[in-house]
Amino acid sequence: MRSRIQAPLIFGLLTLAAWQAIVMAADIPEYLLPAPSVIFANVDRTLAIQLGVTFVEALAGFLIAGVLAFGCAIMFVRFNTLEDGLFPIAIAVKTTPIVAVAPLLVIWLGTGWWSKIVAVILICFFPVLVNAVKGLKAADAEYRELFQTLGASRSQEFRKLRIPYCLPYLFSALKISSSLAIVGAIVGEFVGATQGLGYLIMVSSAHLETATLFAAIAAAALAGIAMFYAIGWAEERVVFWHSGNME
Amino acid sequence: MNAIALATRLGATPLSRPEPLVSIENLGVRFDNVVAIENLSFAVRRGEFVSLLGPSGCGKSTLLKAIARLVPLASGKIVLRDPNLRIGFMFQKPLLLPWRTTLDNVLLPVEIQLGGSVVDPTDRQRARLMLDLVGLRDFVDAYPHQLSGGMQQRAALARALISDPDILLLDEPFGALDELTRELLNEELIRIWQSADTRLHTVIMVTHSIPEAVTMSDRVIVLTGRPARLIEDIDVRCSRPRTPEEPEPGSIIKRIRAMIRGGR
Repeated sequence: MRSRIQAPLIFGLLTLAAWQAIVMAADIPEYLLPAPSVIFANVDRTLAIQLGVTFVEALAGFLIAGVLAFGCAIMFVRFNTLEDGLFPIAIAVKTTPIVAVAPLLVIWLGTGWWSKIVAVILICFFPVLVNAVKGLKAADAEYRELFQTLGASRSQEFRKLRIPYCLPYLFSALKISSSLAIVGAIVGEFVGATQGLGYLIMVSSAHLETATLFAAIAAAALAGIAMFYAIGWAEERVVFWHSGNME
Repeated sequence: MNAIALATRLGATPLSRPEPLVSIENLGVRFDNVVAIENLSFAVRRGEFVSLLGPSGCGKSTLLKAIARLVPLASGKIVLRDPNLRIGFMFQKPLLLPWRTTLDNVLLPVEIQLGGSVVDPTDRQRARLMLDLVGLRDFVDAYPHQLSGGMQQRAALARALISDPDILLLDEPFGALDELTRELLNEELIRIWQSADTRLHTVIMVTHSIPEAVTMSDRVIVLTGRPARLIEDIDVRCSRPRTPEEPEPGSIIKRIRAMIRGGR
């Protein structure tokens, strides 16, 4: 455990030190490439607030997308007609680039929270839906035969077999979506916002405040990493049985 | 061949025996265009341990699934003496739910029967009793991935026993285990079948091992390959416990082997 944290930490610090040394030695102008020390000096309360805004948008959209997608997946697996009819539409929505849709969201929902949250929902929904449908169908035919011999109803089969069986699939989808959620929120903010990391990135890039820009980028990355690891932490506790020998 | 089977059955003093618990009458099962079972008839009486013996893929498992109503019948019928007869099924794989402890796995049939209501302490007590019976007393709270293959199959047996089945259907129950574990579990199965701790009385077991069939069963029903037809229905009347090395089971084993090798 220690070396898992230690090694990347040492390499990260070495990279930062090299970066600092090169910028200072070559006297690179700040607007092109600020030194790490200058970027750290730009970490302030404003940045924390902008990060908080983006994080809340991303988290809200992520949670709503997760619940909606899992619910849809259950309906799809339970009623095949729904899957046949709606899956192609879901794919069509998925293949539409979120950047292209974001301006429309601002027209419909304004420049407040909801245009960003919906952008996050759109980007997070699909991976969860696909994996959850796959997971709900993953239980072997033999398991379903066992439930049949026990006289289980369809809903018992879902509650006691298919849904628990699906959890490992669900968690891997949530990990993918957790990093996408930050992307969705920032894209939403690019198009029309008065706060958030996306807004900060746009403004600082327009003013050539490159150090602030770098600080915002780093904050966005950290938010994504934090969400990813939070899901991983939950996964280890909820599907602790999965690392063993699943049949 | 059917004539021989019929003669064997008729010769077996039908009057002295209780009426059949399950009768299979001219059964036929088909998957698309493949005939899995054709014109098969035999009966199993209460208290009997019957083995269905035949080569792999001959439709034995399908027959068991037909009795458990897992596959539709193409022709003929399966008559149960009482339509409410409880049927227990044990598969070749343990099929334990990996997120449940051994105890909760054993309680699964109870939970399903109860529907929404809560499992009460008596059921838990009973589940513990079943786990005692199969020798898993110390693994009540273990998860399946912490158990060996043999222990997982013991847990599966406890799960099959908890709902007090009138007939227990076993589909090569220990077929995936190593030879030593398999012999041990076969002996334990017979011990449990003979013990008074369960109401287990009637067992139909699918196997492709001749010694296993002969040492364990009261009757061995020998089936041909696809489609499954009955070659012979043999009573094994030697005293228990038996080993394949003893002369009488030994001679029956030889006879069955010759019968299967000699062709249909």
